[in-house]
Amino acid sequence: MSELARWRKYRWQLIYGEAFDPAMQMALDEVLTYRVGRGERPPTVRFWEWTAPAVVIGRFQSLRNEVDLEEANRHGITVVRRITGGGAMLTEPGRVITYSIYAPPELVAGMSFQESYAFLDAWVVEALRALGIDAWYQPINDITSARGKIGGAAQARRHGAILHHTTMAYDIDPEKVPRVIRIGREKLSDKGVRSAERRVAPLRQQTNLPRETIQEFLIRTFAERHGLQEGALRPDEIDEARELARTKFGTWEWTAILP
Amino acid sequence: MHGEYKTPGGKLVQVDLDVVDGRLQNVRVTGDFFLEPPEALEIIAGALEGAPSNASEDELACRIAQALKRLHQPVELLGFSPEAVARAARRAIS
Repeated sequence: MSELARWRKYRWQLIYGEAFDPAMQMALDEVLTYRVGRGERPPTVRFWEWTAPAVVIGRFQSLRNEVDLEEANRHGITVVRRITGGGAMLTEPGRVITYSIYAPPELVAGMSFQESYAFLDAWVVEALRALGIDAWYQPINDITSARGKIGGAAQARRHGAILHHTTMAYDIDPEKVPRVIRIGREKLSDKGVRSAERRVAPLRQQTNLPRETIQEFLIRTFAERHGLQEGALRPDEIDEARELARTKFGTWEWTAILP
Repeated sequence: MHGEYKTPGGKLVQVDLDVVDGRLQNVRVTGDFFLEPPEALEIIAGALEGAPSNASEDELACRIAQALKRLHQPVELLGFSPEAVARAARRAIS
């Protein structure tokens, strides 16, 4: 089956517009993954808007190894832990582009996990290139460019569905990142100097387009390639996520599950 | 004690542990790798618990691989391996 035929087997729904706080974002990802897995909502792509800055750490990262909590606190940055693996990232309202794909596992049947990362972000690489950005996929999970890394993806397979989410820097201050996110020395060992490893090349450095224009172009690319219908979060989905944000993602117990 | 190892082209593994009476204790495995299901992390760390502190990298990797096999469900490690965890553990010990 061709790449496009795989996508086109489903009626994709778009969720987009409303802003949420960091714990709520984590909760929505879990709730929507669960709902797609149970067939209670169609395969969905969600574009995120943030109400507050956050450091989002990976499921398997040590909180204190990754984040300077005092520094994060001083900058008013909330630290949350997501349900997917991968590395810590800094997000700020209006300064990143983040989306989640909630899909049935059949979408990537027969692919290795690594292949599925590139497949699930291929439309984004295509869109960025159409905007004149020299972007490509860097396995395992990075969207990168000649000028530096643009963003990273992470996946979880839970509740009978795949969650694949990606954050791209639009206008993140690269100087700010190392102040709150620690970088292990060993991590640099096969990529040379620190500046190369963590060199982030936000989209705004690579194009003059406003964030909203890029995001709308991404949505249009998805729609033309895969088909896409406007949708919305249902009130019961929001309620369930609020409860989960309160009892899990907003708690120290979860954030510090690996202290 | 703390050790790290980054798989070339892959992800970083960090191991924290104590050595008590010549054996590994309080083993903790963290990093920016991908792992399904997430509960397998406890199996990986638990496999090193009680291992002799002079165990070789191969022996430590073998303990992890065997423990994962005993899970009787598919476990997916992406960006790291039992060998990578064993190497980070050896680095923590020495």
